[in-house]
Amino acid sequence: MRDHGKGGALTEVTFYILLSLYAPKHGYAIMQFVADRTGGRLVLGAGTLYGALNTLEEKGWISPLGTSGGRKKEYQITPLGREAAEKELARLRELTHTAAEIMGGTL
Amino acid sequence: MKKNCYRFFGGLLTLQENWLNRMADNGYRLVRTGKLLYGFESCAPGQYQYRVEFVGEKSREGAEDYARFLEDCGYRVFFKNINLDYSIGKVKWRPWAEPGGRVAARATTYDRELLIVEKARDGKPFELHTTYEDRLLYYRNLRKPWLWLLGMSVVFGSVMRAWVWGIFAILSLFPLAAYQAELAKLKKQAVTKEW
Repeated sequence: MRDHGKGGALTEVTFYILLSLYAPKHGYAIMQFVADRTGGRLVLGAGTLYGALNTLEEKGWISPLGTSGGRKKEYQITPLGREAAEKELARLRELTHTAAEIMGGTL
Repeated sequence: MKKNCYRFFGGLLTLQENWLNRMADNGYRLVRTGKLLYGFESCAPGQYQYRVEFVGEKSREGAEDYARFLEDCGYRVFFKNINLDYSIGKVKWRPWAEPGGRVAARATTYDRELLIVEKARDGKPFELHTTYEDRLLYYRNLRKPWLWLLGMSVVFGSVMRAWVWGIFAILSLFPLAAYQAELAKLKKQAVTKEW
């Protein structure tokens, strides 16, 4: 994924997946979380989610919970993942602040 | 009511997918697959939807893990062969696959190159790949075997001076052109959109 190319932004998909995993979830629950929270604006395909979860796991931003045979594989966010999410929140806050200042809206 | 159909689609994944969806629209749900066999049972017309996914580049563990993930997401999954080959003890070299999938044998990934994924229709669209980045990756995986075939044909053709390699090279150009066009379109869209 193109996240943090040069200290830049997370993709929306990545950020939502990280947010969904502040409480442990399996794949289907993540898809539902993202669809619910965006009012159906962002819908993740299962194949795309699978690839994203593997990438995030490789980055060490999420980790699978101990899977006992037969149960659905659950993931949770790691401290490193929280750090990435917090950075992104700070970046978005700065962005909305600047936008509000220039565009004259209220936060 | 049960119904058996015998079809061969080869690498024409979209054709296979469309046919399965037409069968489902006519009230037939896929219940088993064989080499050429598609076994159906009656269902309500349009109750199910299908996607055909290429997983030939994955290792056995990778493909099975992916299939399990899709099942966990509430889909039904069938493994299916992409080619027809009745020889025994077949082993294939797949230099374009991920480590673990490069030597495909009967016991691992040979004849398990496709996943047929079934979803109960719930009014929502059924797409497995939704971001441009992921769709690019998927089409690159589809393109890889053909790129290798073209490359090998050119190398062997020029070394061995045998016309048969020319035929392989020309044959590989058709799917390559199709996937290339799709990739170019996606790349263009990916510049401005994430999904």
